[in-house]
Amino acid sequence: MSLLTVVSRAGPSVRRNLLGQAMTESVRWKSDDAQVSQPGYITKRKGKDVQTKRRKPFPQFRPLGAGQLKDEVYQVVQAPKLPEFHKTVAKSDNLVGQPVEWNPTETDPLRIFGLPKNLLLEFRLLSKPYSVIRQVTKDALETLNKAGISPSSNDRWVLTGKPGSGKSFLLLQTVEHAIQNGWAVIYIPRGVDLVNSTTNYAYDIRTQIYVQSTFSFQTLQRMSTVNKAIFENITLQKEIVLEKQTIPAGTNLVQAIEVAIQERKKSGSVASSPAILDAVMRALDTQTDVPVLLAVDQFQALYGKTSYRDQHFVPIHSFHLSMPRLIMEYASGKRSFARGAVIGAISAAQSTNPLPIELRDALELDKLDTRVITEYDKRNKTMIGYTQGLKKFDVPEKLTLEEAIGVFEIWKGVKAFGGDNTFYDETFLGKYTESGGNPREFVWNGLLSNFAP
Amino acid sequence: MNVLRHNLLRQAVRVSSPRIVTPVRTFSRTHIRHEAPSEPHFSEPKPIPESPSFYTTRAVYYDQLSQLEKTISSADYFLRKNHLLPLPDFARASLPELHPMWKDPSEMASEFKTKMTMTRYRRVTHCLNQINDFQRIAQVGGCPELAQKLQDILSMYESSKKEAYLNKGKRRIATLDEYGRSYTLGKRKTSSARVWMIPVKTTTTDPSPESLLGVEGKQRFPVTPSTILVNNLSLHEFFRFPQDREKITRPLKVAGVLGKYNVFAIVRGGGTTGQSGALAHGIAKGIVAHEPALETMFRRAKLTRRDPRMVERKKTGLAKARKRYTWVKR
Repeated sequence: MSLLTVVSRAGPSVRRNLLGQAMTESVRWKSDDAQVSQPGYITKRKGKDVQTKRRKPFPQFRPLGAGQLKDEVYQVVQAPKLPEFHKTVAKSDNLVGQPVEWNPTETDPLRIFGLPKNLLLEFRLLSKPYSVIRQVTKDALETLNKAGISPSSNDRWVLTGKPGSGKSFLLLQTVEHAIQNGWAVIYIPRGVDLVNSTTNYAYDIRTQIYVQSTFSFQTLQRMSTVNKAIFENITLQKEIVLEKQTIPAGTNLVQAIEVAIQERKKSGSVASSPAILDAVMRALDTQTDVPVLLAVDQFQALYGKTSYRDQHFVPIHSFHLSMPRLIMEYASGKRSFARGAVIGAISAAQSTNPLPIELRDALELDKLDTRVITEYDKRNKTMIGYTQGLKKFDVPEKLTLEEAIGVFEIWKGVKAFGGDNTFYDETFLGKYTESGGNPREFVWNGLLSNFAP
Repeated sequence: MNVLRHNLLRQAVRVSSPRIVTPVRTFSRTHIRHEAPSEPHFSEPKPIPESPSFYTTRAVYYDQLSQLEKTISSADYFLRKNHLLPLPDFARASLPELHPMWKDPSEMASEFKTKMTMTRYRRVTHCLNQINDFQRIAQVGGCPELAQKLQDILSMYESSKKEAYLNKGKRRIATLDEYGRSYTLGKRKTSSARVWMIPVKTTTTDPSPESLLGVEGKQRFPVTPSTILVNNLSLHEFFRFPQDREKITRPLKVAGVLGKYNVFAIVRGGGTTGQSGALAHGIAKGIVAHEPALETMFRRAKLTRRDPRMVERKKTGLAKARKRYTWVKR
């Protein structure tokens, strides 16, 4: 601003700086009323107590103390207090729709054996394993209790139902119930991992099948951890002849499995695991002290095509792989536990492992599959043999209102949706209607995908 | 002798000029005189016809027309006597508007048993309009009996298509059938949805011991969930996206009838958004059919409004409806 402009204007000249704050020309001049000092004129100077207008100080942002964080976002969500699954199931009164929680111990199957991906994600979101007791849960647990007396060849069930109807959850509930009631549990949460070529395999001349050593080792290790107390009381009937050593008959299963663990620790080799696993399973077959539950999720993967190929790049059948073969033998009744059951759960989520024709025929699942399959479609005879005697356990697609309320209460309790102004009853009934009662649709595409406030 | 002469005269007349019009009567009379007296015609007098238009070709038409004109004159006399005619202009203007719809010429032809040419039709309708006018005046002027009588006469000539014609621009009100179902149509873009809605049956449960003793704690209200079937699939199977599903349940939420009705729909045409919008429209109309009191509220919430947005056409010189081609400087 030049001198001339200052003189020509009536009032004090005002300039705006970058911050948008008006700054007077007194940046250059000492005061607004400063007289222009021109030669010949004597200017009166103002007193020294004149306050010069300064630029406003830039505000300094300081973090708030913890006590001042009053917003809802900072509030710690109190986990809903729900009864324990085992204690609730033990009661005989009507508990359909009752939401329950699991407090898994260190050796709980869902920690050690793992979980299917969708359940894992759900429990991570909920920050704790929660579940709801449905009518089908009661039926399944009742069936399991009855199955504990008879050989497993009499109780080979496959949980079937529409996608999202709660088969994996039901399988987990049966596994948890079994372990709590003193069963020996072998739980394979992801059946696709057996056939998708993620674990190593090697051809074994003796058995003429491809052994999956790493998976066998992992299974042994997990079995030992979960069923430690039970395995300590079961001994091998026959000795196990390995390459480098022989495990004598009479050693308990924990010690037998320890051999495999030590071998891996020392030399990193898991070559003896398949043999030890086979022996352990045979020991479990014969003993009658404890019922054994073999639970496999994504069951349909075992009966379909595998991603494994042999040296000629020919696909390997699943019954030529040690782990799927072992499970299928128990599932078909070729091998049987003296007391126990085999329960599988099919899953529609794996697009690379769809429901195979042989299993579809055995379980009469025409309505589940929209593919047109005729009598002229090729079926593998060996596979048909492995599907003999499998029984269907249908999981209803629709949650009843009470069950849906239980699911709703869990998600509402962890504050996964809704707020102060939410009409929870309208949300519940609206989402229930939209999802048609399907559990997955109700939770994932309903409560968690809520557009309305 | 007479006969001969008569005959000769006849012959002579015939030959000379056939154009001479001889009175037929003379011949007929003379002829008859000589005939046997067995003919009964002239022994008895002819019966007098009931109406003066008996000998006209269009007896029914003239009859009815004369009846109408008589009605006009008597009504006119009555109204003048009661000082209702002549009406001043302001009074005539204040009369309620009436839209008469008379039978069309083809319909009247069967009534009058004659071909209704324009002239005849205009004559009739002119009389009817006048009677209609008198009927209005009588009704408003406080002569109910006359008004009723005139209305009875007019109703004979009113077209059966009157109802349809009057309701032409108006929306058709959906009604419930004998089972209590509503059938409505919803549309959006190029999709259409045919929606049937029926109230959910609430089963009456046996009274619990608590309620019988009267020591009920919490009163539990039975909640019934609605089932929505679209093309015989459940809603979550047909509409995969949550926003489509929410659109469909919005009318039910606004009305507060989430668990009250079961819905069955057949949707056709368009894509997911169009079909879900059409279904929502159909459900909204169905709710209004079941609960007419909610009509105003739904109209204000624009739920019963058929979304007029359609795909805009592509224009020449443009890549799409609005998209222009890349502008090139040179």
